[in-house]
Amino acid sequence: MADIISALNMIMVPLNLLGLVMGVLVGIAFGCMPGLSVNMGLALLFPLAFTFHGIGGILMLLGIYCGAIYGGSISAILLKTPGTPASVATTLDGYPMATKLRQPGRALGLSTLASTFGGVFSTICLILLAPQLAKVALQFSKPEYFALAIFGLSIITSVSSGSVVKGIMGGLIGLFLATVGIDAMTGTIRFTLDTTYLLGGVSFIPILIGVFAFAQVLGSIEEYYHNERSEQHMVIDRLLPSLTDIKRVFMTLVRSSFIGTFIGCVPGTGGDIASFVSYDQAKRWSKHGSNFGNGEPEGICASEAGNNAVSGGAFIPVLTLGIPGDGATAIMMGALMVQGLQPGPLLFVEKAPDVYAIFIGLLLANLIMGIMGFSLIRLFTKVVNVPVHILLPIIVMMTFVGTYSYNNSLNDVYLMVISGFLGYFLNKLGFSMSAIIIGIILGGMAEQNFVGSLIMSDGNFNIFYTRPLCLFFLVAAVLSLLSPVLGKLFKKA
Amino acid sequence: MNNMTICNYIVSVVGLALGALIMHAAAAFPMQFTENGPGPGFWPFSLGCALAVAAVVLLAFTFTKRADLSGQRVSLNTPANKRVYIMMGLVVAFCVLINLLGFYPAAAALIVATMKLMDYHNKKGILLTTVLTLAFIYLVFGVLLHTQMPQSIFLS
Repeated sequence: MADIISALNMIMVPLNLLGLVMGVLVGIAFGCMPGLSVNMGLALLFPLAFTFHGIGGILMLLGIYCGAIYGGSISAILLKTPGTPASVATTLDGYPMATKLRQPGRALGLSTLASTFGGVFSTICLILLAPQLAKVALQFSKPEYFALAIFGLSIITSVSSGSVVKGIMGGLIGLFLATVGIDAMTGTIRFTLDTTYLLGGVSFIPILIGVFAFAQVLGSIEEYYHNERSEQHMVIDRLLPSLTDIKRVFMTLVRSSFIGTFIGCVPGTGGDIASFVSYDQAKRWSKHGSNFGNGEPEGICASEAGNNAVSGGAFIPVLTLGIPGDGATAIMMGALMVQGLQPGPLLFVEKAPDVYAIFIGLLLANLIMGIMGFSLIRLFTKVVNVPVHILLPIIVMMTFVGTYSYNNSLNDVYLMVISGFLGYFLNKLGFSMSAIIIGIILGGMAEQNFVGSLIMSDGNFNIFYTRPLCLFFLVAAVLSLLSPVLGKLFKKA
Repeated sequence: MNNMTICNYIVSVVGLALGALIMHAAAAFPMQFTENGPGPGFWPFSLGCALAVAAVVLLAFTFTKRADLSGQRVSLNTPANKRVYIMMGLVVAFCVLINLLGFYPAAAALIVATMKLMDYHNKKGILLTTVLTLAFIYLVFGVLLHTQMPQSIFLS
């Protein structure tokens, strides 16, 4: 109870609350503009988050995370252009309801209701499940942590949308970058090219902003060379869903929230998978299955409740085991680490008030998102129309300022630019940027626990396969790595 | 346009070279097992090996699937790509100009150049975007967060 009161004290600081509200606002704006992504929003505002003292910056990033997932539905409904991949399924019924049925307000209202319901539902699941899982994880020792890190790394096969081998190569490059600087176990200085800049390791933030924000801007410049974004000029009517609509979609909301939370818990999945699975299940179970694709309220709610429910679910492995499930949670995990909060079971023991502050922050973020969705939707529909030629130069500028402001270092800016250039080409070649970032984040954990395990066993590698939990995670990692191949074999069979 | 087969071959060779380079650099550190566990070179050496193996796997995969991969195009020299390369040039010029002129003049130049590059020529729009963006940066970062932006080498 004392921890919860401490957490509330942390959150109720006006600046921290302001950070949370601003985060949600910026997140929705990022989500609703096609071409900008959740990862980009998080990366871009990552340095700004640390100008807040204590938990404030994390709250801001939580706000962006929740807001951006929801924001994607606005452009999906109004423009048939999903702001984020997680909102692709929302276009199937959201756009027809807005255009064919001429009810854009109803569609936006239902998506706001479903997003809020899904987000709150999954946060409650997080609050109930995470401490229990953390208790189990407290039994872990170095071999189990090493195996967990390897399992966490294995999800790069899932986040690599292009080639799995390239995903693995990206992950290995990330792991190598994590070795630069002073070795935590022996104090040896490694791969610093005789510069003091690299003594503390490769700075994570410039690479993050480079590959997620700057590289994406370069990609957008290419993408919008010929095709200008379409604009919408719909009149938003009634927003609050009617009681009839709520009755009609309630079971879909609950079912989709369950599905989204469960999928969020599984590393390597994400909002896009959750929304499609939820949509598919809603169509199977609905009495109005034949109406799906023609502006069916259950279709909108299934997709939106599913993708927003991922947010709470995805935090379960991050907070309890220290495994990020995708690029966005990898960034969130990096933010926690930069703030001195090492995700894992010990976090629940050593920094319990911070954990509760994250829980309450996520819950508040979802509620604020709902309030903003219903009250400011007309503003966000204007944001959808901001022209690319105005938006992109501003984002370019923010990548520079954000990177520079973190350490007041031009070297960081140069590193960000180089990362962005490389990121642009690597994206074209089918590499996953998330894999590189996950490699950097889990690199330290993997190496330190690998070396620590071998010290425990006097250099005997048996330790990794004679401990049941360690073996379980290593087998799970191998299965996860081979899942694309196994999936193909299974289909053939 | 290039096809993915050629690109994958290049990526494989670069990956192999990078793996070898990492192994070579890691070999400069002790790798033996002592009471303190493996030496500081062991882990990065293993990563270099793994990267080289992954590059070979990619090479083999590309060779066996070359017919399928040839159909996948990677655009690198279209007019849209050229626009990106010009943008990259502008950014490099901006990095140089930051040192010469200081942040704000260099930033103003980059915003204007980027908007023109994106075929936007409305002078009022360009001026308004530039002024508002820089004012926002000045107020938030300069005034509220006390970030000292880079100054011209002639002033510092």
